[in-house]
Amino acid sequence: MSAVAVADVTGKHTGSVPRILVFSTNNISDPGIDLAGSNHLHYSPGVEVISMPCTSGIKPSWIAHAIEQGFDGVFIASDGDECAYLPDCAHRASRIVGEAQELLKAGGHDPQRVRMAAICSVCAEPFTNHVKQFSSLLAGLREQGAK
Amino acid sequence: MDYDVLVVGSGIGGMESALKLGDMGYKVLVVEKEASVGGRMILLSKVFPTLDCASCISTPKMAQTIHHPNLTVLTYSEVEGIARNGGGQFHAKVKRKARYVDEVACTGCQKCETACTVAVPDQFNADLVARRAAYIAFPQAVPKKAVIDRQGSSPCTFACPAGIEAHGYVSLIRSGEYEKAHRLVLDATPLVGTLGRACYAPCESECTRGSLEGTLPIRRLKRFISDRHVESGEDLGIEVAAANGHRIAVVGSGPAGLTAAWQLARKGYAVKIYEAASEPGGFLRLAIPSYRLPVEVVERDIQNVRDLGVEIATSTPVRDLEALKAEGYDAVLLATGTPRSSGLGVPGEDRLGVMGGTDFLRKVKLDQPVDMAGKQVVVVGGGNVAMDAARVARRLGAASVTVAYRRGRAEMPAHHVEADDAEKEGVAFTFQVAPAEVVGDASGAVSGLRCVRMALGEPDSSGRRRPEPIKGSEFVIPCQVIIAAIGMTPDTAAFAGTVGVGRNGALQADPKTLQTSVPWVFAAGDVVNGATDITRAVGEGRRAAHMIDRWLTGGMLDGFDLRLPVVDKQQVLARQKTYTIRPAAKDGVTLEAAPRDFREVEAGLTEAEAHEASGRCMDCAVCSGCHECVAACPVDGCIDLQARDQELEVEVGAVVVSTGYKLFNADLKPQYGFGQYRNVITGMQMDRLLAPTRPFNTILRPSDGKVPERIAYVMCTGSRDETVGNPLCSKFCCMYSVKQNQLIMGALPLAEVTVHYMDIRAAGKRYDEFYEQSKSMGATYVKGRVAKITEKENGDLVLRYEDIENGGTLVDAEYDLVVLAVGVQPNREAAMLFPEDKLAEDEYFYVAEPDEDLNPGVTSIPGVFVAGAAAGAKDIVDSILHAGAAAAQVAAHLERTQAKTKVPA
Repeated sequence: MSAVAVADVTGKHTGSVPRILVFSTNNISDPGIDLAGSNHLHYSPGVEVISMPCTSGIKPSWIAHAIEQGFDGVFIASDGDECAYLPDCAHRASRIVGEAQELLKAGGHDPQRVRMAAICSVCAEPFTNHVKQFSSLLAGLREQGAK
Repeated sequence: MDYDVLVVGSGIGGMESALKLGDMGYKVLVVEKEASVGGRMILLSKVFPTLDCASCISTPKMAQTIHHPNLTVLTYSEVEGIARNGGGQFHAKVKRKARYVDEVACTGCQKCETACTVAVPDQFNADLVARRAAYIAFPQAVPKKAVIDRQGSSPCTFACPAGIEAHGYVSLIRSGEYEKAHRLVLDATPLVGTLGRACYAPCESECTRGSLEGTLPIRRLKRFISDRHVESGEDLGIEVAAANGHRIAVVGSGPAGLTAAWQLARKGYAVKIYEAASEPGGFLRLAIPSYRLPVEVVERDIQNVRDLGVEIATSTPVRDLEALKAEGYDAVLLATGTPRSSGLGVPGEDRLGVMGGTDFLRKVKLDQPVDMAGKQVVVVGGGNVAMDAARVARRLGAASVTVAYRRGRAEMPAHHVEADDAEKEGVAFTFQVAPAEVVGDASGAVSGLRCVRMALGEPDSSGRRRPEPIKGSEFVIPCQVIIAAIGMTPDTAAFAGTVGVGRNGALQADPKTLQTSVPWVFAAGDVVNGATDITRAVGEGRRAAHMIDRWLTGGMLDGFDLRLPVVDKQQVLARQKTYTIRPAAKDGVTLEAAPRDFREVEAGLTEAEAHEASGRCMDCAVCSGCHECVAACPVDGCIDLQARDQELEVEVGAVVVSTGYKLFNADLKPQYGFGQYRNVITGMQMDRLLAPTRPFNTILRPSDGKVPERIAYVMCTGSRDETVGNPLCSKFCCMYSVKQNQLIMGALPLAEVTVHYMDIRAAGKRYDEFYEQSKSMGATYVKGRVAKITEKENGDLVLRYEDIENGGTLVDAEYDLVVLAVGVQPNREAAMLFPEDKLAEDEYFYVAEPDEDLNPGVTSIPGVFVAGAAAGAKDIVDSILHAGAAAAQVAAHLERTQAKTKVPA
């Protein structure tokens, strides 16, 4: 697993934080994540966001690939039941997460490295909370030496 | 038929109608004037009485609207007119307003927004903060695509004959981007330093700020960036295309020739300039005196042209155009200006001591001996050359200099500043006199100028009053030198056999294409138009380069002037109620009564002055044309500032008018001080302060950013109020105020909230409970209308009201912040959608529903329906219900009419 070196706001070196790949949706969860930045809410600098039309289009293999390529975890910022494309988008995305977890297990990775939650267009604070918790979990896994 | 239904407006009502109709299988076209769908609801904090997040529940609907397979959505578009087409359907004209951003290519990255140099009030934040001219409406915008707010051409930019983006470089200077500002001027002409000193600045004459405390010193701002560039020692930073193999000869190195050469060289042409004089620059180098335009400034500007590889051959007059062609030039531009001084045309003008104005100035600029010391000098003429000659003569030690002009001072063609400055330097003026004879002594030298006095008659073709001699009025002005500055003419005899030559030797060329009768010969500037000024010559040079390039690349000879129409200055001034008067920069000119040297008379702006001056710009056209967005955009070709509005015509089966409402303009209640007292805000502004996408991430008052502890609400501002012509209740002001009361008490637990009301209207499911809940949370409700609001020095506000429930006494209460619960008004644009069929309005000017009890949504025009608050004040719940009803009415109408059309003939 890799990690990004970071400094806190005072410039003091704080070691490294887990790298988290976030899949967001163009119309709903990504504006919410954007808002976290606009509101100057702090969240882990290890987060990288890729926005897409609908999370039901994610392939389980992408998630496994991200972990293989050095991300500590993958977070799917889903639209919940409000997706503009598919009324069962959240259901489909959760199935994808399940399949991805199987793939991770098969590859010897902890399935907790993928997580999904519904994020709305103004869920700036919930997003930062999710990421904070997820980051702690991933940091814990790292300490345990889990793959 | 293109669509079954046209929905005008995409607020919550419009979206609801469109989605329901789309779900039923109808093809729907939604037209929205803003850059995002969503209307007002998306901008609210929460909705009452559930306190659901307005953004959270409206963004899914917005996304569905955009992505629904049966819905086509045109944002940033306006319906210009709808008419019945005779077959029971409708013909609609839709204007797709130019976004200047490719909607498909834009990724919503906001780099254009960050780079933009213009900030204007953000209408999506109720003007509490600024947005950029390049902007994405708000974080939840759907589609999340940028637009560039270009309302036309700014008056300064539009006025520049040289086509320089004046507003653009002013806004770059304001942003501290001096080098970029310099490059923006270089995009038009290499003569930045020259124009920064010697231009007559038509931009400044048009500056809207001139209606306030005074125009911006736009010309001197240009000089500032030129001087800064020289000090910085930076490269020009101008892109030059790869050599294209074509060769161009430019004859003449004045402003037109230099600019054309510069533009052609940038396009990859090999350019050589042929100059008859010993120095390049034309009048810039050989006429305009150094106290106005130092030689080194002109030489630096000419060096810009050389730096692009342009060769300048001096002392090389061209007399044979065919020979040039034979040398291998693909095109020739004639830009030889008006080098000849016109003669006086009176007896004795060949006497020793009579000279032409430009000849005199040229001699001085070339350091050739001219003896003026102790002499009496008469300058004949009233133009700028006359002023220059007179002031130069003063500097050369003339005992006296008198300008003799045949008309009055008001009719002088010279720039008034030049005349004023000449006078301050000791030049005398005698008006309404014309030369009759040069008087001389036996040696042939001048001893005086016999003049005749003139009377001004009727206006001539130039609009100036024609001077007519007064018989018997002759007199002699004693003098030893006479400078004839009465006109300049081209020297084109050598070209007469090849291209057409007209009156006064002017070359004949098409005024648009600048092409002469010989296709490979173009002519530009004063040699075609007669003596004008530098900026016009620069503009002609740019045009010539454009046309020559088009001609050589096989294109149409057009597409040069792509300016948008100029914005209306009165509309610009009307954007704000009040303006802070900011002192204009001093003119920087130091004049002496008897100048003896050629030092520059005008000082440049300091950096602080430049900042102050550029900060006064009013951003008339909003977009300044600085092109920073184009440079910042990571997608090639995504931003195109030459894009223009497009017209679209569609046939539709039915129309839904869902144009919503307007909020009451609170400054129509002057006793409440909105727009005057900064801490008096509207309900919509408070909703923005409370929204999850709020601008400050807290509630604060505008004057000093203090978190308010005492907040008052003034209900029924602009509703139930005959004095403002709106007797109607706006229905939701009570409830949105109650909602805000609760949110404020949640966000600021220590704040006291007081509501001044007439009576609380909380009719609706759980509405009254919501109101009671607010009271139980601690909000105070005081019955009685507020008479007036006054402001204290510290920004606190004093409300005077009659306390009805406590004996009717007059009370003055102090608050930190006052929120006006503004009511709604009809959006009368709805009726204007139908220029031919009158869409009936009710007595309050909302769209009428003639049978609203039984047929909601049906209007006076069969096939036209109304949804939501366009028909009257409605809250969100009622709007959605009404929009659903309208959708059902539309479906019924379509089924009915389609059944009719299906009847076999």
